[in-house]
Amino acid sequence: MSFYENDYTIKERRTLDKEGGVIMRYVCSICGYVYDESQEQVAFSQLPDSWVCPICKADQSLFVGEEKEKETINLDVSWNDPIVYSTGEEAAICSNLARGCEKQYKDEEMKLFQMLSDYLTSKMEEETEINLKTMEQMLQQDLSQHYPALHHQAEEIEDRGTQRICVWGEKVTSILHSLLMRYQQSQGRFLRDTDIWVCSVCGFVFVGDNPPDLCPVCKVPAWKFEKIEGREQS
Amino acid sequence: MKYKAVRNIRLCTKDCLCLYVCPTGATDTENSIIDVNKCIGCGDCAKACPSGAISMVPQDYPPQQSKEASILSLSHVLTHHKARQEQLAKQLAQTSSSDELYRLMKAFEKSIRLVNEDILRESGYMLPQSTQVHDLLKTWIQDPPLDDFPRDIAQKLLDMIPCNELPVKRYRCKVCGAIFEIKEGEELICPICQATQDQLEIIDF
Repeated sequence: MSFYENDYTIKERRTLDKEGGVIMRYVCSICGYVYDESQEQVAFSQLPDSWVCPICKADQSLFVGEEKEKETINLDVSWNDPIVYSTGEEAAICSNLARGCEKQYKDEEMKLFQMLSDYLTSKMEEETEINLKTMEQMLQQDLSQHYPALHHQAEEIEDRGTQRICVWGEKVTSILHSLLMRYQQSQGRFLRDTDIWVCSVCGFVFVGDNPPDLCPVCKVPAWKFEKIEGREQS
Repeated sequence: MKYKAVRNIRLCTKDCLCLYVCPTGATDTENSIIDVNKCIGCGDCAKACPSGAISMVPQDYPPQQSKEASILSLSHVLTHHKARQEQLAKQLAQTSSSDELYRLMKAFEKSIRLVNEDILRESGYMLPQSTQVHDLLKTWIQDPPLDDFPRDIAQKLLDMIPCNELPVKRYRCKVCGAIFEIKEGEELICPICQATQDQLEIIDF
């Protein structure tokens, strides 16, 4: 079993079994775990619905068969508009700068940026369609359009920093989308009597009694995960 | 580049070699924080530390790599969308009737903010010392985005954080009409017709 394969390149690999059927390898798009049918007793398509990635718990829809060709990207995202940041973006700029100050051990500057961020966060424009379907569509749009467009452009001009945020962001967005689908299918049963953890570095979300030893997306250790607490009882 | 030693108490295994080698006694303090006023940045403590708990933190930072306009705009499409998702997650948590949905949406809110911070960091907001951050703070002070925006905080940050890039000004040559940018401190001369300072006027971006 090989875990962390190259993030991107999906190599052509086709082996035939004794009866002439195609043996496939399925790679987890989140952590790179490989389900190799030649090493397993059960074909990937025969796995029970409850089967999730043993490393990062991504569900089966996030596995990519190695024969599958990369989908063609429809770059239907324009980039001519002048950049005007929303209050929500300004809030995130400030919380990011607070983090930047913290890393430079500038405590007072960190607190001031955090105050600006808290203020701006409280002033973010309200959303009007408050339902899970809207969330699902928004995440899906990022995965099918926004990330591929940015990723493609970053590859074109060899901007590796931007390619890195695409690798991480696409994985985190995929896991959020997948958790949302599971939530809707099971009415939230898979979250009962267990905890939800967020990687404080990349935003990866993990469901389980304990956080993973290593973040499957950005590889930081378990103590970098934060547990999400329930609503405070008043 | 100047450095100061900083101790990560989480990693420190109290081998105390930093106390032995420090020429100024900066590493020996009652609260375990290395005294920045005594530290001369020699790095001897970091080299001696067996647990790797001391790092030499730079006092000056080079400018962040600049980004192409196409990347900035495509990133903005994402950051705008992510900010809306974060707000949606927050409102879904507020209106949730079950503990499961509340926790899931709180996790989403946190996760989406982290992802958005990462994209914005790559869009030129990595260092608080950058011109881009200084310009943003200046804009907020001159033209606050909201009525009760805390301008005093923005002003304080502007005063406290030095800029690591020379400010750029845009000029028009009154002789040949060329428009160009010159960094502050560099010679003021038209790159096209060599006209000198008194023939150039500052224009807005």
